[in-house]
Amino acid sequence: MAAIAELRDLLGSDRVLDDPLERRLYSKDASLMRGDPVCVVFPGDAEQVSAIVRIAARHGLPVIPRGAGTGLTAGASPMTGGIVMSMTGMNTIEIDPDNQAAWVGPGVINLDLSKQARPYGLHFAPDPSSQSACTIGGNLANNSGGPHCLAEGSTTSHVLGLEFVTADGQIHEVGGLAPDQPGLDLRALLVGSEGTLGIATRILVRLLPIADDVRTLLLDFPSVEDAARTVSDVIAAGMVPAALEMMDQRMVMAVENWLGAGLPTDAAAVLLAEVVGSTATVESEASIIAEIGRSNHARNVVIAVESEDRELLWKGRKSAFGAIAQLAPDYYLHDTVVPRTRLVETMAGVYEIADRHDLTMLNVFHAGDGNLHPLIAFDSSDEDVARRVKLAGEEIVDLCLSVGGALSGEHGVGVEKRDLMPSSFSALDLDAQARIKDVFDPDHLLNPAKVLPQGSRCFDFGGVRREVPEGAWV
Amino acid sequence: MQGWVTEHHPTRDGLTACVQCGLCLPVCPTFRLTGRETASPRGRIQAMRSVDEGQASVDAKFEEILDFCLGCRACEPVCPGMVPYGSLLEGSRAEISAQRPTAYRRLRRWVLGRVVPTPALMRILTVVLRILQRLHLIRLVPGRFRRSLSGLRPLDHAPNRVDRESDEPGGIGLLTGCIQEQWFPEVNRAAVELLRNAGHEVSIPATQTCCGALAAHDGHAEVAGRLGEANDRAFAACGTIVATVAGCSAHLVDRHGDGAADITAVIAAAIDEGRLPMLPRSGQKVVVQDPCHLRHAQKSIRPQRLILEAAGLDLVELDDAGMCCGAAGLYTILQPEASAELGRQKAGRISELGPELVASANPGCEMQLRAFLGEGYEIRHPIEMYLQALRRHG
Amino acid sequence: MGVTSLSDIETKIEGAPEGVHVAPKTVDDVVRVLRWATESGTPVRVWGGGTRQKLGHPPTPGIVLSTGRLSDIEVWEPDDLTVVAGAGIGVDELESRLGEKSQTAVLPEHPGAATLGGVLATGRASLRRARLLGPRERVLEVTMVTGDGRVVRSGGRVVKNVSGFDLHRAAIGAFGSLGVIVQVCLKLWPVPRASATISNADPESVSRITRPLALLETNDAWQLFAWGTPTDIDEIVAKTEGEGRAGLHWPEDPRGSYRWLLRVPPGRTAEAALRVRPWRFLAIHGSGELRLASEDVEGATDLRGWAEDIGGSLVLVDHPGEDAPLDPWGSPPSTLDLQRRLIAEFDPARIVNPGRLPGGL
Repeated sequence: MAAIAELRDLLGSDRVLDDPLERRLYSKDASLMRGDPVCVVFPGDAEQVSAIVRIAARHGLPVIPRGAGTGLTAGASPMTGGIVMSMTGMNTIEIDPDNQAAWVGPGVINLDLSKQARPYGLHFAPDPSSQSACTIGGNLANNSGGPHCLAEGSTTSHVLGLEFVTADGQIHEVGGLAPDQPGLDLRALLVGSEGTLGIATRILVRLLPIADDVRTLLLDFPSVEDAARTVSDVIAAGMVPAALEMMDQRMVMAVENWLGAGLPTDAAAVLLAEVVGSTATVESEASIIAEIGRSNHARNVVIAVESEDRELLWKGRKSAFGAIAQLAPDYYLHDTVVPRTRLVETMAGVYEIADRHDLTMLNVFHAGDGNLHPLIAFDSSDEDVARRVKLAGEEIVDLCLSVGGALSGEHGVGVEKRDLMPSSFSALDLDAQARIKDVFDPDHLLNPAKVLPQGSRCFDFGGVRREVPEGAWV
Repeated sequence: MQGWVTEHHPTRDGLTACVQCGLCLPVCPTFRLTGRETASPRGRIQAMRSVDEGQASVDAKFEEILDFCLGCRACEPVCPGMVPYGSLLEGSRAEISAQRPTAYRRLRRWVLGRVVPTPALMRILTVVLRILQRLHLIRLVPGRFRRSLSGLRPLDHAPNRVDRESDEPGGIGLLTGCIQEQWFPEVNRAAVELLRNAGHEVSIPATQTCCGALAAHDGHAEVAGRLGEANDRAFAACGTIVATVAGCSAHLVDRHGDGAADITAVIAAAIDEGRLPMLPRSGQKVVVQDPCHLRHAQKSIRPQRLILEAAGLDLVELDDAGMCCGAAGLYTILQPEASAELGRQKAGRISELGPELVASANPGCEMQLRAFLGEGYEIRHPIEMYLQALRRHG
Repeated sequence: MGVTSLSDIETKIEGAPEGVHVAPKTVDDVVRVLRWATESGTPVRVWGGGTRQKLGHPPTPGIVLSTGRLSDIEVWEPDDLTVVAGAGIGVDELESRLGEKSQTAVLPEHPGAATLGGVLATGRASLRRARLLGPRERVLEVTMVTGDGRVVRSGGRVVKNVSGFDLHRAAIGAFGSLGVIVQVCLKLWPVPRASATISNADPESVSRITRPLALLETNDAWQLFAWGTPTDIDEIVAKTEGEGRAGLHWPEDPRGSYRWLLRVPPGRTAEAALRVRPWRFLAIHGSGELRLASEDVEGATDLRGWAEDIGGSLVLVDHPGEDAPLDPWGSPPSTLDLQRRLIAEFDPARIVNPGRLPGGL
């Protein structure tokens, strides 16, 4: 194929993979949807990214940027074929302690950045559960969250600037260290655009000082409602803890089976809360949260002070998705967000849906944000089960949207939630989004057919059908 | 597509236990080196699963992808799905051996099945190496062997090995190890002395042979099986089989469970129970290097540290999540470039830390570290350091 | 359809230039005005409280659209820390309502007559920005009417949302070029029980306070602002050896006929403050934002040169005359072409505040 020969000339043959088995290993991310790329390329700098995009454009091949492939919505799955561009080789970190910022390559692993920033007393706030593996480029693409974005905001609040390549191969730079650059804030559009508007080649991120002191609380409850009510009450009490996470009993059991951290497997739900600040602050806030928990029937409140104890609790929380594998070969989850005041009723509704369809449901989520991750463990080889999983998924989304929720809190839309966008946005809203895409990428070369459903532009808006792509369990 | 052909192939349950979450990527040394899915545990499992599902065959690319794996098993402890990666890897390599029996692979099978387990042949090799070492002629050895052999300890002419004694029922049976007993006899001697000091009955069955770990890792499952059965008979009367090489003990633990242990676990238990003393602090610092087959395969981190603390040493941690040093059994020979890069990285981290005393509980790691750290570093097994301290304090 | 079709919403806005003034009562009215303006090619100047009308290139004469009647608080969920309000609500009124339940939207502290829509469209920041971040962080959802009269909503009424491109964030500081902001859902913060304004603190010990609410410097004073639990506040006052006063007593922006906004990398704030010392200034340490007042237009050119060299900017916020004595924005951004094409999709006839943005967009 001519394009592959040109790419080999550009990058060297060892940085272009096209063997069928190699292509297969890049045919999907951590979601259930698989495509088939023409080849996989490994650029080393923005100039190479630009050159690759130009070659791709000449040959009409889509370009699908990929970080660590930990995404859950097929954002990095090459559903339309094309060139998978692995960004892992672009992984330099330049820390700027004076400005509490860092320029990083898109391939830098999230946790590596915080580790390198630690000697300066700084850290990168967004901490998705996959932070030990996922890349900053992927975080930028999905506007990733994580437990600690409750107080600090998602990735978009921490991206000060970026260099990116548009579909015409041009290299642009937006934002910077100085705040509020005059003119339109294109940065706001690029963060969270899932690689559909441009490919980030260098990212300027904000680093925050590490808190003086931290307490992590583990509260266990006899019912999910009690735990959910505690979350609402904490927020209503005028506190914004650093993190407020919930796991239900099945989830705790799966995690504990692997971790052996002594988590209470007989509790119906556990809450993991973290408060940061001065020692005086964390001690008083921890005791307020404990008190609110007890008044909502918490059986036990553990307050972890030492960093090892706290890390163990977080390790349990952050490994939850992987631990599902102990129960069933597949899992399907949603990432909806509901107003925190509607948490109790929504949780009850979600369990009711799973029970009605006779499915194994686990819950582990960012309770403080109202960001649910209802998760169904199942075996996709059983067609009847798979059918029921689909039905339950649709009902869960409908329920969450009906209480004023959003489709995705932090995982992105990708392919998986793309065709649900019309249930969240009007035709005009989607048309506006599609216009943005057309400005940056008129020929739909960059990660095409993601985020926006087909026919989002009003002139071809002949009634959007709720068309679910193959393999999408919605 | 040709699927699996042997009974050793990766199991369906093992493969479907992976949900591709990717938490294994950052701890995988080859992924860290390359940033490639094809060099990651998740990618390798995908490759196996592709064969299992009839979407790929055991072809040259499959072989290349699987051969690049160190087998360090760093992916196992971080895997919340508890994927049995080590056994999936061995199963895949067994399939490669069966389906792609190249001359080089057959040669390795013969060496690992016949030469290495035969003490007389190993002795001849050792004598030759000793002459080369004395004459400073190791540099004449072909490239990919030269570097790791340069990390050997000075070899004895007639090594005062631990003599193989006749079987005694019960107690601990010491596996002397095919390479360990020839090239690192001091470690086995220290093991016997400490075990006896701790009140253990120690026997060294004369009919024992190589544990078969190297053969199993290289895909020669039936060779490993044959050696394992021979040792089953040799150690039948022993309560626990103990090895002084992390690679051997990991293999034995996989096969025998609680019926086998690494020497560090046994000595640490004796210290814990007061059967061996905690010695006064000397103020000397030691860098702890965790062999992958202890840290990852056996999830053993504490015992080697307890032994070093008991020896009066101050621990200095590498803080690199147990990243493999690149020795990994035959890896130095099979993948010399990746092995060398990992060796350089590990040596670089150690030299940044300062102390010139390094503890490693695996001979392969020791040779790799010595080869890359160069002059001026003392690298020993933790139990040797403990024994030395014990003698010093009478 | 002539301008007479808008007579039902015609009004008189105090301070606004002579001409047709309209004050829509509903979002549909806004649609009607902008459709008419697009069809007739009439420029529209959007008017909130009129406090930033001199910011940017001088507007092309046309009609004036006031958002003043779109000022309802539609939903306020105190327990959810969100509020949905019309763009025309006064910042002062909104913040004082929120204050009744000890909440804040972290909008500018001395807004004057400024409206919610106005501070967002012009990107005005709070003095608490070093701790609670800049103007883009305030909004969860924005409903706007594009130049050609389409009602477009972006974001959602929840605190975390990644569905679709963040048009609502891009609208902040866009002067209506992507759409006239008509309704906003804001993220709220609880106001802690205790707070203090600490002056004459020892600068060395102040630098050891991790992430204070604000650290402000003016020509003659340093002030540290803290909020938290009463013990917390006592501790900070003791630690900094300063004079603590209960409550947050925010300083006013420097006054003068020429007012400026200097933005530099946060680590250069102290250096910038030193440089602008002859002017009246208010520096927000940790953020890189300095608010200045000075008639020294020549000095401004030098200052701008320095700021742009280190990746910052100097923007003219207010001036006495009709025409600005120098380009109000400074060097145009490198992505001008992308910006122009983007605006063309939302305001094809370029009628909302045309030419006001950097580069004359």
